[in-house]
Order: sequence, then C-alpha cells, then structure tokens
Amino acid sequence: MTNHWIDLKNSDSIFIIGCNPAENHPISFKWIEEAMDRGGKLIVVDPRYTRSASKADIYAQVRPGTDIAFLGGMINYALQHDLIHKEYVREYTNATFIVGEKYDFKDGMFCSFDDQEKVYDLKTWAYETGPDGKPLRDLTMQNPRCVYQQLKNHYKRYDIEMVCSITGTKMEDYLKVVKNFCATGRPDKAGTILYAMGITQSTHGTQNVRAVAMLQMLLGNIGIAGGGVNALRGESNVQGSSDYGLLFHLLPGYLKSPEFDNADLKAYVEKWTPKSSDSKSANWLGNTPKYITSMLKAWYGDNATAANDFCYDYLPKRMGSYAYDKIMTKMGKGELEGLVCMGMNPAVGGPDSGSARTALGKLKWLVTVDLWETETSIFWKRPGVNPKDIQTEVFMLPAASSVEKEGSISNSGRWAQWRYKAVEPVGQSMSDLWIIDQFFKRVRNLYTKEKGAFPDPITKLSWNYGNGHEPDVHLVAKEINGSFTKDMTIVDKDKTLEFKAGDPVPMFKYLQADGSTSCGCWIYSGSYTKDGNQMARRDESDPTGLGLFPKWSWCWPVNRRIIYNRASVNPAGEPFNPKRAVIAWDGLEKKWKGDIPDGPWPPMKDDKEGKYPFIMLPEGHARLYALDMKDGPFPEHYEPVESPARNLMSGVQNSPGVKIPKNVSSDLAKFPFIGTTYRMTEHWQTGGMTRSLPWLTELVPDMFVEISESLAKKKGIKKGDKVRVTTERGSIEAMALVTSRLRPFNVEGKQIEQIGMPWHFGYAGLATGDSANLLTPSVGCANTSIPEFKAFLCNLEKGGNKA
Amino acid sequence: MTAAARIIINEIKGYHNFLKFMIGLVVMGALATMARFIFGLGVTTNLNDVYPWGLWISFDVVTAVPLAAGAFTLGAIVHCFHIKKLEPLVRPAIVTGFLGYSLVCVGLLLDLGQPQRAWHTMVYWNIHSPMFEVSMCIMAYTTVLFLEFLSPVCEKFGYHVPLRVLRWLEMPLVIGAAAISTLHQSSLGTFFLIAVDKLHALWYNPLLPLLFWMSAIFTGISIIILEATMVHRYLGQPDESELLEVLTKILPWTLGAYLIVKLAATALLSHGPLYDRPSLLTLFLAELIIGIIIPMFMFMKKAYREDDRMQLRGASLVIAGVVLNRFNVSMFGMEQADQAIYYPSIIESLVTIGIIAAHVLFFVLLAKYFPIFEHHPETVDYSLPDHAHSMTAAHEHSHASGSESVH
Amino acid sequence: MSSTPVNYDKTKSFLIDTTKCTGCRGCQVACKQWNQLKAENTTFFSGEGYQNPPLMSEYTFTRVKFKDYQKDGQNEFAFYKEMCMHCNEPACASVCPVGAFVKTPEGPVVYDAGRCIGCRFCMIACPFGIPKYEWSKAFPLVRKCTGCFSRIKEGMQPACVTACPTAISYGSRADMIKEAEKRLKNRPDRYQQTIYGKDEAGGTSIFYLTEQPLDELGFKPVTQRSLPSYTWQALRLVPGIFLTVGGGLSLLSWFTHRKERIRQEEAFKNSKVQPETTVEETREDQP
Ligand SMILES: Nc1nc2c(c(=O)[nH]1)N[C@H]1C(S)=C(S)[C@@H](COP(=O)(O)OP(=O)(O)OC[C@H]3O[C@@H](n4cnc5c(=O)[nH]c(N)nc54)[C@H](O)[C@@H]3O)O[C@H]1N2
Ligand SMILES: Nc1nc2c(c(=O)[nH]1)N[C@H]1C(S)=C(S)[C@@H](COP(=O)(O)OP(=O)(O)OC[C@H]3O[C@@H](n4cnc5c(=O)[nH]c(N)nc54)[C@H](O)[C@@H]3O)O[C@H]1N2
Ligand code: SF4
Ligand code: SF4
Ligand code: SF4
Ligand code: SF4
Ligand code: SF4
Ligand SMILES: [Mo]
Repeated sequence: MTNHWIDLKNSDSIFIIGCNPAENHPISFKWIEEAMDRGGKLIVVDPRYTRSASKADIYAQVRPGTDIAFLGGMINYALQHDLIHKEYVREYTNATFIVGEKYDFKDGMFCSFDDQEKVYDLKTWAYETGPDGKPLRDLTMQNPRCVYQQLKNHYKRYDIEMVCSITGTKMEDYLKVVKNFCATGRPDKAGTILYAMGITQSTHGTQNVRAVAMLQMLLGNIGIAGGGVNALRGESNVQGSSDYGLLFHLLPGYLKSPEFDNADLKAYVEKWTPKSSDSKSANWLGNTPKYITSMLKAWYGDNATAANDFCYDYLPKRMGSYAYDKIMTKMGKGELEGLVCMGMNPAVGGPDSGSARTALGKLKWLVTVDLWETETSIFWKRPGVNPKDIQTEVFMLPAASSVEKEGSISNSGRWAQWRYKAVEPVGQSMSDLWIIDQFFKRVRNLYTKEKGAFPDPITKLSWNYGNGHEPDVHLVAKEINGSFTKDMTIVDKDKTLEFKAGDPVPMFKYLQADGSTSCGCWIYSGSYTKDGNQMARRDESDPTGLGLFPKWSWCWPVNRRIIYNRASVNPAGEPFNPKRAVIAWDGLEKKWKGDIPDGPWPPMKDDKEGKYPFIMLPEGHARLYALDMKDGPFPEHYEPVESPARNLMSGVQNSPGVKIPKNVSSDLAKFPFIGTTYRMTEHWQTGGMTRSLPWLTELVPDMFVEISESLAKKKGIKKGDKVRVTTERGSIEAMALVTSRLRPFNVEGKQIEQIGMPWHFGYAGLATGDSANLLTPSVGCANTSIPEFKAFLCNLEKGGNKA
Repeated sequence: MTAAARIIINEIKGYHNFLKFMIGLVVMGALATMARFIFGLGVTTNLNDVYPWGLWISFDVVTAVPLAAGAFTLGAIVHCFHIKKLEPLVRPAIVTGFLGYSLVCVGLLLDLGQPQRAWHTMVYWNIHSPMFEVSMCIMAYTTVLFLEFLSPVCEKFGYHVPLRVLRWLEMPLVIGAAAISTLHQSSLGTFFLIAVDKLHALWYNPLLPLLFWMSAIFTGISIIILEATMVHRYLGQPDESELLEVLTKILPWTLGAYLIVKLAATALLSHGPLYDRPSLLTLFLAELIIGIIIPMFMFMKKAYREDDRMQLRGASLVIAGVVLNRFNVSMFGMEQADQAIYYPSIIESLVTIGIIAAHVLFFVLLAKYFPIFEHHPETVDYSLPDHAHSMTAAHEHSHASGSESVH
Repeated sequence: MSSTPVNYDKTKSFLIDTTKCTGCRGCQVACKQWNQLKAENTTFFSGEGYQNPPLMSEYTFTRVKFKDYQKDGQNEFAFYKEMCMHCNEPACASVCPVGAFVKTPEGPVVYDAGRCIGCRFCMIACPFGIPKYEWSKAFPLVRKCTGCFSRIKEGMQPACVTACPTAISYGSRADMIKEAEKRLKNRPDRYQQTIYGKDEAGGTSIFYLTEQPLDELGFKPVTQRSLPSYTWQALRLVPGIFLTVGGGLSLLSWFTHRKERIRQEEAFKNSKVQPETTVEETREDQP
C-alpha cells in the first residue's frame, strides 16, 4: 500500500476492484465506514455481489479477467471529459515525455515482438532523449508523440459501449462508477483504489495493476491523504516477506538478485544501478552499490572485503525463471531431490494442485515446517493413492505459531510492528527462527566436516545471534537495521556526525559502498537505532490529524507513512488540498512539515536543489507509459487464457507474453461456464489453520460452489445439492449454494454463467472437501508468473461422485 | 416372595382385563419416565428451543388442572351454596381432584430440568411469576385435597380422631380450596399473558385468566357428570343422574357467561389480526362450537338435562372443548406461521398416556377399596370410641354425638 | 427479580449498526471462545447466505443472521448479530418462579444456574426467543448470552464487542441512544429511521440500526410495553382475589347455613325436640 489502512478514512471515494476487504481484510472496513460517515462513497467492482458489495453505494459487475477494459474505459473517460488533475499530470507523470519514433501499436500488438521467443524488444519503447541524455518533454502535451497523446490515442478505443460489451457490466452501473470516481481528479478530492487478487491473479495481472496506478496518476491521487494505490496484502507478514526477498528475482530491499552474467560486483552494479543525467531527479536507486555492499557485509561480515568483492561470488546467480510453476514442473519430472515447505501448503494452494500432489511423490525427501498436519505433509496418504507407491521420505517439523514467539510483522501499510510472545509453544513446536538456526548450523557442520564442492557460501556466513537456546531476534533485527563496521565521521549538510564501530546506522542515507557499513535490508534501516527498537513504539499521538500516527511502530522507508507524498503538494510545496495536507513546505524555516517527505530537498520549483517527487524512478516522474513491462508500455485488454469470449478489442486473444500450457481448453461445448476462486472470511487460505479449529469449521463446514438462480433452475439444482465441477485439469465435488448474488454475464449477447468457489478445502484437518485448485490452470502473468486463479472454464453437473 | 406380595399379585390376577390394561399402560409410562431421566429431554422428547413446552405442559398441566376442577366447584356448590343434596358427589370429585393434582405434580416434575430442586420455588420467591403463584397454589391445593381425601381413608380404617378434625376442617378447606383454585386456575391463563407477541390474537387477550377460571368451573361440573355416569355404568355405582340434573342446570349459565366474555374479549381486547391464519381460526371456532355453543343449547333443554345419555354427551363436549382450548392456548396458538410443527414424541405420549391411565387406575382402585361412592355423610359415624374420650376431652368441647342424623 | 432499582440510562448497552456489519462473524467466534462453548456439528449452511449454525442454542449465544435476497432487481445482502437484548424489564426474569434471572444495575440480565429448576418458562416468555436449553442433558439448565458480565465487572468490554471491526459500539444506554440518533440524522438516506430496542419490550440494552426495513430482515415485531406489565396486571390482583373469593364464600356459607339452621330450628320447634349445638355452628365460627 502506498498509504495505510487508517488513511482510508480520508477518502472521498473508495474504489474497490478485485478484492473483497469486508471478507478478507475485515478491519479495513472500520476505516472505510469512517470515510463513509464523513460523506465518502464506496464503489465495488467484482464479478460477484460480495459482502463488500453489500456495503457499497455503487456496485458494478465485471466479468473475470476484463479489468483492463474496465479501467481503460475509465482512463478514457477521464481524458475525454478532461477530469484529470492537469498540473499533477504535467509536472509529476511522464505525460509530457516524448516517446521514441519506433514505438507503435497495431491491432493488439506493440512494436517489435519476437514471434519465436515470444518477447518484445523493450528498447524500442524508450523515450526520445536530447543531446544531454535527458528525455525530451513537451510541457504543452500537444506533441503527438508525447505520452499524453499516445495515451489518449491508445484508450480512445475503450469507449463505454466497447468496454461494457467486454466486461458485461451494465452501462448505467459503469457510468455511475466512472462519474463518481473520476470526480476525484479535483485537487480537493481524494480517491483511493483498493485491489488484491482479483486484479493480480491474471495472465495480465501486472498490467491490471498498472491500469489502476495510471488512473490514480491521471486523477492526481498518488501521494495524497485518502488516495493511493493500495494493494491489500495477504498473508499476515507477506509484506515483510517480500521486503526481505521472498521472490526469486529479488534480494532483501527489492534489490535485484544477480543474473548469471553479472559476473562480479562491478558488473552487477553496472547492470542494476539506474542512471539519470537529470539533476532534478533524485534517482534514489542510484544508491544501489551502497545497499548491495552493506547487505553483503551483513551476510559475510569480516569475511567480506573490498578485495574479495565483498563475497559477491557466493551469491547464487539466476538464469531464467524459478517461479512456483517452474519448480513444480521440474519436480514433476523428478529433477528435484528434496523440498523444504516452510509455512506453505502447495498440495492445496498452488494452481493445478493435482499435478503438484503427483510431483511431491517424485521427491526423495520432503520437509514440512507447519503448525499442523497439512495436505502437503500427508500427500502420500491422500484419498485415491496407495502410500506404498510413494517413496518420498516426509519429515514434519512442528512450528510455533505467531503468538508463541517474538518478532516483527510488517503489515500492508508497511508498518513493522514488534510483537511479543504471548504463550509458550505447544508440545515440541519450535520457532521458525530456531528451526532455521539449527538447519544452518547442522548444514554448516556438515560442510565443515565433509567439505563438498563449494562450502564457502555457507561456512563463511556471518551468523551471530547469541548463544541462547533460541537465536536472539533482537540481534537479527539489529543486523537488518545495519551498523557501522568501523569508526566514522560523516558530514551531513552543516552537521558532523561521529559514529563508533558497531553503532547502529540511523537511516539508509548513511549506508556506504566501501564496506564501512553493514545492513541486512536497506529499506528497514532506521528500524532499530540507538534510540532502541522503533518497531516497538506505541505512542498514539497524531499531530496531522490524518491518522498517520508517526510514533506508533515504524514504517519503511524512514518512517514515511504515505509514500510519494511530495506529489501531494504543488511544485511550490503547497498542499493541493490544504484541508488534508500530508506535507507542506515551510518557506521560512526552510523545511517540510507533516509526514516525512520523499527526500529532504526543497520543493521541485527550487531550481538548484528541488527534486521530482517520484524518486524511485530515474526520470523522477510516475510512468503512465512504462518502459520495462514485458507485455507493453500501456495495459491492453486481452482475454484470460480460458475464456468464453473473443477479444473484441483486437485480433490477439491472449497476452502475447504468456506461454500457454497444454492442459487448457476454451472449448465452450465441453466447458461452458466461467469458474473463479476466492476466499471467505471464515477460512484462511489452504485451510491448514482454519479447518483444524472447530469454531471456524462450524462457520463454513463444507466445500461449496456458488451458482446463480438461473443456472440452478436450468440444472434442477437446489441449495445443498451435491454438484460436480470439471475442467480440463480435474474434477471436484461440492455442495451448491444457489444465490442471486451470482449472476450470469452478458458475453456477445449470450448469457454465460459463472461458478464461484472458495479454495480453502482439502483432505486434511477437521472439515474436509475437494480443493478448487484441482481445477485451476497453471498459467501465469507475463511479468510475475502469478497464476490465473480467477478466470477459467468449467462444466457443472448435478450429483456428486456419480456424475 | 413375601406373603404380602403374593396376596397383592393374586388380588391383581383377579382384576378385570381393563384394569390390567391400565396397569400395563402405567408401567409403560413409568418406563418412559425412566428413559426421560436416563437419556435426557432432548433425545426422548420432541421439545426443542422453538417448542420448549409440549404435550406434558399442554396436557399434563394446563389441561389436567381444569379437568381436576370438579372438587373445588362442587365443594363450593355443595357447601357454600348449600345445595346439600349434591353432597354424595363431593367425595368422588375430591378423589379425582386429588389424583389429578398429584399427577399434575408428577407431570411437572418430569418436565422440569431439575426436578430435585422443585423446592426452590418455596425458598426463592418471585411474586412476579405466575408460575411461582401456580406452584405455590398447586402445592397448597394438593395438600388441601390430600386432607379432604384423608376422610375416606380414615373412615376405612376407622381413625376417628383425625376424622373429627377433618370434619371440623371441612368448611375452611372447602373455602380455601375454592379461593386457591380460583387463583391458580386463572393464573394458568396468566402464564400466557407474557406471550404477547407469540400467542395468536384469537386467544390472547387480557381476560385470559378470567376465561381460564370460568372455563374451569364448567369443566369441573362436566367432569363430575362424566365421572358419575361412567362409574354408574362401569363400576355399578348408584345412578346419580337426578343429582346430575341439578348440575346441568348450572351449565348453560356458566357456558353462556363464558361465551359472552370470550367473544367480547376477542372482539374488543385482542391486539392483532384475527383472521390471518385459517387453520387457527378453524381451531378457534371448533373450540367454541363444540365445547360451548352446542352443549349450552343442549343443556337449555329440559329433556336433554333429564336424559342421562344426553348429560354424558353434553358434558363430554364441554370437556373436549376445554381440552382443545387449552391446547390452542398453550400449543397451537403459540405456533408461529413460519415454524415447523411440533408433535409429541412416542416417549412423551407414553408418559401422558401412562398418567391418564394411572388416574383411571387409581380412581378405580380407590373406589374399590375405599368408601367413596357409598358416602352419604349422614350415615357416617363421627362419634369417638370410648377410649378416645379421655384423650380428647380436654380439647373437645363440642358435643360428640350422632346428633346430625336429622332423618 | 432484582430489588435494586436500575437506572437504565447508565446500563451498558450495545449499539449494533447493521449497515456497518460485514457479516464477518468475529463476534460469534469470540463469544464461543470467551464462554468456551462447543462448536456445533452441522453440515453446509443452514440459513440464508453463509448463515450457520441454524439457530442460537445452548452452544451458541450469539449468531450472525444472514439475509440474502433480491429487491427490485437489486441484491440485498444483510447481516446482523442476534443476542440477548438484556431488556430493561426482562420477561425472562419476571416469569422465572425462582428468580434465577436478574437485571443487574450494570445492564446485563444474568442467570443464576444454581437456582434454576429448568421449567423453561423463561423461554416461553422471552419475546426474542433467547434463552436456550441444554437439551442434550438429563438434568438440563438454561443458557444464554451473559452480556459478558464477568468481563464488564472487571472493566473490560464484552468479548464480541472487542472482536467486532465495525458494527458494535458499547457504552451507557443514554450515550448509545444519542449516538444512534446522531447517525440517523447524519445519514438519513442510509438508515431506516428507527432504533430497534429503544422501546421494544419496554426498552432493551441492545439497539439495532438498519438500512432495510426491519421486517424484511426478520426482526420480530415486539410490543413496546414492558412484558412483565402484562402479567403483573393480572398477578397483582392475586391477594385481592384470594381475599374476595375466600371472604365471599365464607359469607355466603354463613348465610346459607344460617338459613338452613333457621329452617331446621323451625322444624325442631315444630317437632318439639331440643336441638343440640350442631356441627354447622362450629363451622360457622370459621372466618
Ligand atoms: N479471511 C481470509 N482473509 C484473507 C485470506 C484468507 O484466506 N481468508 N487470504 C489473505 C491473502 S494471502 C490474500 S492474497 C488476500 C486476498 O484478498 P482478495 O483479493 O480480496 O481475495 P479473493 O477473494 O481471492 O479475491 C477478491 C475478489 O476478486 C474477485 N474477482 C475475481 N476475478 C476478478 C476479476 O477478474 N476482476 C475483478 N475486479 N475482481 C475479480 C472475486 O470475486 C473476489 O471477490 O486476502 C488475505 N486475507
Ligand atoms: N485457487 C486459488 N489458489 C490460490 C489463491 C487464490 O486466490 N485462488 N491465492 C493464492 C495466494 S494469494 C496465496 S498467498 C497462496 C497461499 O498459499 P499457502 O501459503 O500455501 O497457504 P497457507 O494456507 O497460507 O499456508 C500457510 C501454512 O503456514 C502455516 N503456518 C502458519 N503460521 C506459521 C508459522 O508461524 N510458521 C510456520 N512454519 N508455519 C506457519 C499454516 O498452518 C499453513 O499451513 O495461495 C494461492 N492459491
Ligand atoms: S485477521 Fe488479523 S490481519 Fe486480518 S483483518 Fe483481522 S485483525 Fe486484521
Ligand atoms: S431478551 Fe429475553 S432473555 Fe434476554 S433479557 Fe430480554 S427477555 Fe430476558
Ligand atoms: S427454566 Fe430456570 S431460569 Fe427459566 S424460568 Fe424456569 S427456573 Fe427460571
Ligand atoms: S456479550 Fe458476551 S456472552 Fe453475550 S454475545 Fe457477546 S460475547 Fe457472547
Ligand atoms: S463482529 Fe461485528 S461486523 Fe463482524 S459479524 Fe459481528 S457484528 Fe458484524
Ligand atoms: Mo496471498
């Protein structure tokens, strides 16, 4: 989230698209309700009429997988009706930038697609640059090749009739949404967009997110209170996990993980440090060398020296994708020896989980670290298999739950909050930290004793977390914050600061590229300083009255509560909306008041020192036109891989960057219905946690599918009847919930029914049922590989097993 | 086997098959009762949170109490209104009443979740509770009936002293009985005054307690008619139909008065729609027509009043009517339009049947072994035996003699 | 019944704003957790929408009701938490023969299991169908929401209140009514202009605000008068009736017997037999 849950209360229009916060983020509604009490309006766009929709002022139905059309239509409407925040767009986005001449878009394809490799040549989308290397701009935005005109041009095809015939939305509902939300383009209005899996779990998920962001840029809604692009994070600490490098292409702090040809640190830095020749661009990631070096110092300690490239060689180098689907394919081929599943349940949670279950049987060994026996840990005795046929050796390590251990959790709003152990772990369960610590120590001992091909990356690791039974989490947190490795004197503007070796780094500004600092995750630098554990702060003061609570816990980066907040003021540093000022430049004191701004520099208007607000991009301007997406600079509508509809926008049916697996089918004769999966309040994810608790199984005891009244009538199905749902991948049994909340979609004049299903069920735990993921296709987003869980084709028949 | 037991068994062997059948039913009822205590109410009954009260309350309590009203009605008629010639009917009425109330207590104890705590009502008073009031009354009244019932027992065994005390207590007991009965017969109606939004307007009105009391009176009378006719027919007791004719004269008046109050209350004092539930309306009309209007007209005719068969039929109609009325109030009228329908379980039914059978059985047995029907007070010897004189002389200042024989 | 007079304005009350309820059922689970109530074994959803368990019961003191229907082509998906209303003048307390229910000055209507005889009159009496019975037991007791009396006595809020993200406000009755009225005024188009519970059953400690008409959501229409007053209007006559009937009948018998005696005396006079004191005389000495 660019903003925070609490900040939702500052909004005039809350636009929920592709998430269901009433059910999946219930606490959010506390703040949404507060906004509504102050006159804010709530918009919900979802294929189903959800519990969130029931609270909405405006609800619009959308066919799964058509959000780009929906949002593209809104972009078009805002542009055509001149509802955009002009000054914001001109000054803070790349609308004024001139696009190179090679750029072109024709019938659903951007220029320079390599049909063989199925990739675009991204270089052809570059800005046109001047002789100084700076991109050319036209501040009048009249140049036909400026981003603004290209944008207008691209989206003029997304007129309301076209959009509604793609999305199946009722035109009057669509207009209500558009009019209400686009009205937040005024400087004194704030609109926020909340999204999650309905937007991201798509073969064009990343472009969906971009469309959300673009709409917000056009309306001047990023950086302001009550605005933002707010991805509602899922797992309780998934924000923290991503921050610390959960994904294969990232190191902690969103530094890129080295690729095979980043042969040494220099090459790495060369490749991943963005450059800008514009002095007004802060280009913050220009600091990458400091962050990577400090990280290596944290990992390898004294072993990391300038002479040995700070042990850069020890980092694994990647080649290609190591995404979930790739790993599973490999596993299925027997190419993986073992798997450690720590707090994850792929036998239920992954796409096409039938294949995943089979793949697990190809492993030599499997370690599960979990609170419970999960479908994954008992995959070898799942219904329908003979345990004798499965040779995998399975180890179950009982893990302590979140309330049984101390540590930090980062929430959606980027607040790292310290938590304490409430109770002792039950039975023999141990904290994950202990388990990892033991894992490491035992592996290191083996390497030390038995050597091996390349022991150094393990044996040389710096691993100093105390001598207690349990590693000291505070030492871990301090390592993350970073410290000086030697005595230092730093001159910062007019101040001279003295640091001793071992002192904590006050913030990432002080990190160095020469090995004199170490820092485990640069964006968390400042979370554990000489003033103590900032994450444990519990001060309820709220000086701005906006609900920023600057002294409650700690928020990355540098305790900034709303990121990109320099875009909430005009170039002179005056808030666009003085009533909800996030920051404001005090010309007399020469400093910013309010939230912590994105960098200390004076306002952008200041010719000498002023900086553009979007400091994480080399050009300093938010990108309406993207340069590095694999599937195009502008989001373009494509159909999901399995779709009942022809792409009305162009002749290109699916996103060109997506590799389509064999076991998908758009044969409407076999699979006439749209299937979609989602969560519900009462269960958590794969159900490992909730289907083991009687009080929660009581709430939703059985696997069910939701169907419309019209489909129920056609098939003679009553509420509670057993039905069978089938896709090209598999088939499940469930009980039918007939409801008017699900309605068929109008697709090219035909009524196409949707089958909605939660994906929380499996064969372990107290309440068991078939897993929806036996049905879902293993096909992912062109950019991120997130699976397309939300739109596939299926059939449904009355009757259970027999059908 | 002891000799006594053998005697009892032999005695039973000599019973009429009907009695044996009754004994069988009572045994079944007793077994069902055991099942209730072993397996709990939930399993053995069809009661649930929607129907917390079922057959046991509707019949064993709410209906049985007016059915046992003969004792107080007749007591008052005979002693207070001094219609002496009806006196021979009093004792059977008291026996029925005593049995009835004892079995009401049994029914209640079965129905209570915590029967072992029944005494709590006497300790933790809640004067706002009609049930508190009713239970106090029922306990008091059962005691009164017990005392009244002791007379034939004492007669049988020739306990003269208690007999005299009882004789002396007769008037206060009769008056007390009438007052207590008035209270709890009507308070059973008060029970349902709390169910403002549950009991259908056809029955709910603030005069419900009055109506319950009024109907108890004519039910009591009708029960006596029924009973006397039956014992005459089946137990070979003397034909009292002439006496009963006196009672039948009272009936049209009480039925008529009831009808007027009932219709007026329903028309003027009820609080909701009356005709929205056809099935309930049918029940309402059935109750009135069968139980009130037809017998009222029947008993207005002298010929019918004198005809013992018609006496029986009319009284039966009244009784059927009141049974229906009590079920209407406590069960059918409480049913909400959208609820599943309650019907008693086998165990519930067996218990109730057992209780009814016990009533019949005990009545017959009592009639068999105790002077209940032969009782014509003028023939009873209330004199003290000689040896008792010395004991009681100090206390007894009244003249002990058979002077009552005014014949 | 409680003898201490209760200042209703000060009693702790719940304002349940169904327009803000997301149907998350956190309250339902929190209640089970605090009261350590067993989970019920049910299959599938027993009510509309995702409603489960079917009804409140000995194991379920509060339950979120779902209403899932269409009106004028628009979906209505409404939720509300059902629980004991903690009436100002509780019907359950008034009918209980042993006074097992008491309205506390703090607000909750609490139950003394040690007194209860299990007659279920409270269940008949409660206009909201709240008290539930331990049907599974041979010697059952009644169970219902305690208003978390044990918590509020310690200065905490009820478990369900603390679990609720949006819909429940908790405070003094006067404050909650004020807050409810404020909301009705602030957003008149969102709310039905009634506060259910303010006057129902003579006033309760639970207030509901709704967007849909109450009857559509299945709220029971309940009299605005306090329920105990309905029975009390009859019960208060008890001593009077007792004295009237007893006295009346005594008088009557005295009168009839006197007539009888006079008649007898005449008869005796005529027959010249001197009567002894009759037993009837003894009887007439009675009141
Ligand atoms: N109770 C509970 N809370 C949870 C979780 C849980 O399992 N249980 N999981 C957590 C996790 S890990 C995550 S990631 C989040 C996810 O939170 P959400 O994203 O809110 O979760 P979903 O229910 O998967 O999807 C949201 C909605 O997207 C809709 N949808 C489906 N397809 C489309 C589409 O094409 N377009 C649009 N606009 N909408 C679509 C679905 O109907 C659904 O209502 O929730 C977190 N919170
Ligand atoms: N069809 C379909 N499939 C989906 C989705 C969808 O929308 N539709 N959503 C996807 C999304 S967004 C996500 S995030 C994934 C989630 O997929 P998973 O991460 O596989 O699912 P979880 O059930 O959250 O698994 C977490 C496990 O961690 C255990 N656990 C909890 N706390 C701890 C702890 O402290 N330590 C350890 N070691 N273990 C712990 C839990 O018991 C549980 O078994 O599923 C994806 N799958
Ligand atoms: S489960 Fe936890 S994280 Fe999710 S909404 Fe509730 S309180 Fe927040
Ligand atoms: S709602 Fe029912 S149980 Fe609760 S206090 Fe009122 S009458 Fe008693
Ligand atoms: S069941 Fe218990 S609490 Fe309810 S009225 Fe009877 S004695 Fe009172
Ligand atoms: S007040 Fe307490 S007992 Fe009552 S519903 Fe809430 S949590 Fe349950
Ligand atoms: S916890 Fe609150 S929001 Fe959730 S269901 Fe209960 S009352 Fe509604
Ligand atoms: Mo997630």
